[in-house]
Amino acid sequence: MTRVSIPVLVTVMLLMFGGVAEAHKLKVFATATGAAIEGYAYFGTGGRARQSEVTVASPDGTVLGKTTTDDEGNFRYDATRRVDHVITVDGRDGHVASYTVAADELPQTLASGGDAAAAKPSAERTGAPIAAAPAASRTGEDADLKAFIDRSIARQIRPLREQIDAYQEKIRLHDVLGGLGYILGLGGLAFGLAQRRKRAGTGASDVTRGAQ
Amino acid sequence: MAHIPDGVLSAPVLIAGAAVSLAGCGYALRRLDEERIPEVAILAAVFFVASLVHFPVGPTSVHLILNGLTGILLGWAAFPAIAVALLLQAVLFGFGGLVVLGVNIMNMAIPAVLCCYLFQAVAGNGANRQRVLWGAGLAGGLGVLLTAIMVAAVLTLSGREFFAAAKLVVVAHVPVALIEAAFSVAVIGLLSRVKPSLLGFQA
Repeated sequence: MTRVSIPVLVTVMLLMFGGVAEAHKLKVFATATGAAIEGYAYFGTGGRARQSEVTVASPDGTVLGKTTTDDEGNFRYDATRRVDHVITVDGRDGHVASYTVAADELPQTLASGGDAAAAKPSAERTGAPIAAAPAASRTGEDADLKAFIDRSIARQIRPLREQIDAYQEKIRLHDVLGGLGYILGLGGLAFGLAQRRKRAGTGASDVTRGAQ
Repeated sequence: MAHIPDGVLSAPVLIAGAAVSLAGCGYALRRLDEERIPEVAILAAVFFVASLVHFPVGPTSVHLILNGLTGILLGWAAFPAIAVALLLQAVLFGFGGLVVLGVNIMNMAIPAVLCCYLFQAVAGNGANRQRVLWGAGLAGGLGVLLTAIMVAAVLTLSGREFFAAAKLVVVAHVPVALIEAAFSVAVIGLLSRVKPSLLGFQA
């Protein structure tokens, strides 16, 4: 009876989460809209991480700024440099997650890396020295238009990116079954090895006892 | 949280946790009677799946751990069972990191072993059903709370403020502890009636 009831218990628990559960894990999502990096911290199970510390750092570990999430788990940080921003959220209870906003997402008008490079992008954009004044102003208009298109596209694809990000952490039934299979296999292996050792020890030849 | 991710703890804590878990697993495997291997595998499976049953508590979210129940039924053998289950949870679900695996095993398996001794002390020889059920409830609930306290302790040793971490982790786990206490009472109550030998009682 008990031999049956424990597997039944496992099955009931499997059914309890409906076969598709989400990971219990803190996650961060962020995108840049213009120079503002906006995002939120959430749990794979659906809740938001409220009042958690947010640290913004460059890839080399220099802390660029700190903020906290609000009551909806949202945060906002105004980028001042065009570098990759590594955003780390710390739930203080051992939950930590980070997300990187690539430099490409930030507007080109921001200084990239060091301050000396501040003027470089505009110099590149005006291009050849022979460019006449009207051409330069058109380039300015083009830049505005491009920035507008970038912002608009970023806004449009944001829900998709959020969905993909959340989807990556979904646990599917085959993950669970795979894990159970590993445990079963390891148990069988241990049992078989123990039996072989026992047989070798006693010199008995009772082969059928090993099979279950 | 019970499953600590990578990059939170300091190196000495990681090394100590790995050493404790290795020693615990080694000792448990040495003691393990081969007849009990299927039992260990089944409880490893239960433990593995239990972490998927989760519910939101306040600003965070928690899930079942079931280390108390695992401990009651397995004693020292809870170490290898929890080690295998946690490894698979880390690899397949992303619960907890791989580098901190040793600490996570320690945090869940030590309370499990303590709960086994507690259960045996309270339940005695299993003749008194009331005492068996009380033992199951106490061990089931304490397993979770001890784990929460150990998580807070390792976070502190890695340079976090103990009180803040302890408050967050322990408070979030009180509901889990209550649920697991009730669950352990139900499971042990059933087992003590239909299969007392699993609990080490005379039939």
